[in-house]
Order: sequence, then structure tokens, then C-alpha cells
Amino acid sequence: MDTTQLLKGVLDLAVLAVVGERDGYGYDVVRRLRAAGLDDVGDASVYGTLRRLYAGGHLTSYVVPSEEGPHRKYYALNDAGRARLAESTATWRAFTDAMDKLLRSEGEAAA
Amino acid sequence: MSDTGVNDTIDGDVARYATAVRAAFADLPGPERELLLEDLEDHLQEVAAEAGGPLEERLGRPETYAAELRASAGLPAAGAGRARPRLRESRVARRLRRSWRGTMAHPAAAATAEFLPELRPAWWVLRGYVAVLAASAVLGGLYPGDGQGMRFPVPALFGSQLLGLLAIVAAVVVSVRLGRRGPAAGWRRGLGVAGNAALGLFAVVLLLDLGARTAGDDDPAQLVTVYQRASWGLRADGREISNIYAFDADGKPLRGVYLVDQDGNPVVATHNDNPFLDPRELVDRDGNEVANRYPQAQQEVDPATGGRSAVPAPEFRPPPGPVRSP
Repeated sequence: MDTTQLLKGVLDLAVLAVVGERDGYGYDVVRRLRAAGLDDVGDASVYGTLRRLYAGGHLTSYVVPSEEGPHRKYYALNDAGRARLAESTATWRAFTDAMDKLLRSEGEAAA
Repeated sequence: MSDTGVNDTIDGDVARYATAVRAAFADLPGPERELLLEDLEDHLQEVAAEAGGPLEERLGRPETYAAELRASAGLPAAGAGRARPRLRESRVARRLRRSWRGTMAHPAAAATAEFLPELRPAWWVLRGYVAVLAASAVLGGLYPGDGQGMRFPVPALFGSQLLGLLAIVAAVVVSVRLGRRGPAAGWRRGLGVAGNAALGLFAVVLLLDLGARTAGDDDPAQLVTVYQRASWGLRADGREISNIYAFDADGKPLRGVYLVDQDGNPVVATHNDNPFLDPRELVDRDGNEVANRYPQAQQEVDPATGGRSAVPAPEFRPPPGPVRSP
């Protein structure tokens, strides 16, 4: 199964979760998503998602000077972002529960 | 290779890659594009700094990167949907667009551009009102010409200000509904733009006219203003001539002298707001306009007290008569 198709639907939630865990700048979010096991996550997708969430008022940003390289724009959740994260998490749990049940009965039938 | 040399190579690569990505967003309006791409370069710099090698090797072709970015930002694919084939831009248009983009990149300009759409609902309300004003003006209800001046702020429709008021309420409701529905498609969109522009222009003209009217609201002064508008005024060496005094050869002032030009047209002096002219000076016994009878009895206003007094006639002593009597 193609994980990139699955990722499209849950990238918002994944990005919100990562930023909710700890503020991060664009590439840092990419790295943490990959470290968490989402190897196929695209750099452009993460950047675009961050900007869309920011434009939609779910994230705030602040600039941190960096000694090497450019200044880094860190993203953080605001109240709207936290609410969205909670809501999406609930949806995700309900969805995976339903899928788990479906797959378990499927497994029993196959056994 | 020195350290700066390496950085330069990275910067060049980042700049090239970013430019190629940005090109795929040319269809977006400036502020929206800036909001999405404002830290693209910084972000690519991070990617480039982590590991060596050209960006294209790590991130794929810029076009692919841009397409993925568009999709994740919730935008339609480039060239899809409403986007029309762009006409070839002239050099001037391109330069204008660049300088526009430069202006809009300024934080103050971007903040203003972000705020402007919030004014739309106010325009929807104003638009309904202005539409009724325009209709009233076309039907002759705005300046009925009955001597009572302009019907404002509530215009009359078919002679009734109540009807005008009801029309305003209805027009505002319709206008807001149209506004909330968002821009129409195709030829109707063009019609909407033209209608908005026409009403906007009408509102500006009305405002200017209103300004001119309130400036001359005082009763006799208003009459003078009307005459002043009707005449081109009289000038000598660029100086306004507001009154003319005639004297005979003995230095006796003449009254009730009619002045006409070489074609027999009345010569009408320039009337400023001050000195005021008694309006009766400008009509004959039958009520017809007589603007070329001199000297005109003018009054001046004391700005401190507001009281009026007659403007005194100038002193004049005729020179000794011509050498040879005619």
C-alpha cells in the first residue's frame, strides 16, 4: 500500500503533533517526522503544510537567530492549533479503532 | 576552496532552486504568494546546509517540489482551473509587476493588503445606498430644481423621499447578498466589475459636488455663486475685475451704465464670495438676468462681526480733457 496516499490525509495531524510536542522550524519538523517513522514524508509537503496551518491561524511563529546559517523561523501551536490537534486526534482514534476492528474480524475470517 | 566559497556555492544553488519553485506560483496574487513562500529560501538553506550535494539531487526537480508544495498548501495544480493562458507580457508590464511585487513585499504594504478585504462588507452597504442615489439622480429626484436644493442624504424617487428610503433598504439588502455570494463567473463577472467601478466613480463625483455645494450654502452668497458659475468673469492683465465704475469727463460718477463687448454681448464682472452682491442687482424689473449694469452695489462682510457694509466707490479725478475736442 502506498504510504504517500495515506500521509496526505494525516499530514496536518502529524505536523500539529510534532510542533505540539516541541516548537520547531521547517526542516526540524521534517527531520522529526522522518525520525518518528514517516520516512516518505516530502520536504515540500511539510513546508506547504506548515505555511497553510500558519496562514489558517493554527500556528504562531517567531524568529530565532542562528549562529551558522540563516535565522530560523520556529513554529508553535496557539489555542486554535491545540484545539485542532485535539479534535483531529479524536477523529484519528475513532478511525483507527474502526479500521482495527475491521481488520481483526477480517483476520479471524481468514484464519 | 575557502569557507565563503562553499557558502557562495550553496547560496547560488538555493537561489536558483527557489527561483524555479517560485515560477510555479506566478498565478497567485502577490500577498498570498508571499505568505506561502516568504521563508522558502531559508528553509532550502537548512536542507542544503545539512548535507552536501545539489538541492535537485536531494529534493527532486523544482517543478515537482512546487507541485507537491501546492498540493499540501491546498492549492489547485498550476495551470488548472481558472488560470488562463497568460498573454505575453510587455516589458513595461513586467517592470510594473516587479515594482508592485517589491512594494507589496514591504511589511506595511502586506499588512494593508491583508486588511483591505475586510473593508468589503462596508462597500457592499455603501454600494446599495449609492445605487439609489444614482437612480435618483438619473430620474431627477436628487436636484429637483424647486429652489430647495439637493435632496440629501435621503434622495427622492418619483418625488417621494419615503420611497427613496425604502429603496435604500432594499438595495443594501440585495447588494450585501450579491457581495456574500462572491464573484460570479464569465461575462457576469465583467458586468459586476464594471458596475462596481461605475458606482464608485459616481460616489466620488457626488462627494466632490457635495463639497462644492456646502461651501456656498449661505443664501445670498449661494445666488452669487450661481452667477459666478454662469459667468466666465472679467479680467485685466490676469487680475479679476469684480466691479466697474464709470465717470464722465467732469469726474461725475455714472450710474446704471450697461457694458457690452465688441459683439454686443454683456460684459460680466467676476464675483467673489466677498464682496457680496445684492442679488437684486442682477435682475431687472421683470426678473430677467442683468449682469452687466455698473457699478454694482456690492457689500463686504466684516469677518469679526458678520455685519455687512457697502463697498465704497474708488476715488477718481479725470485728467484734463483731450487736446482736441471730438
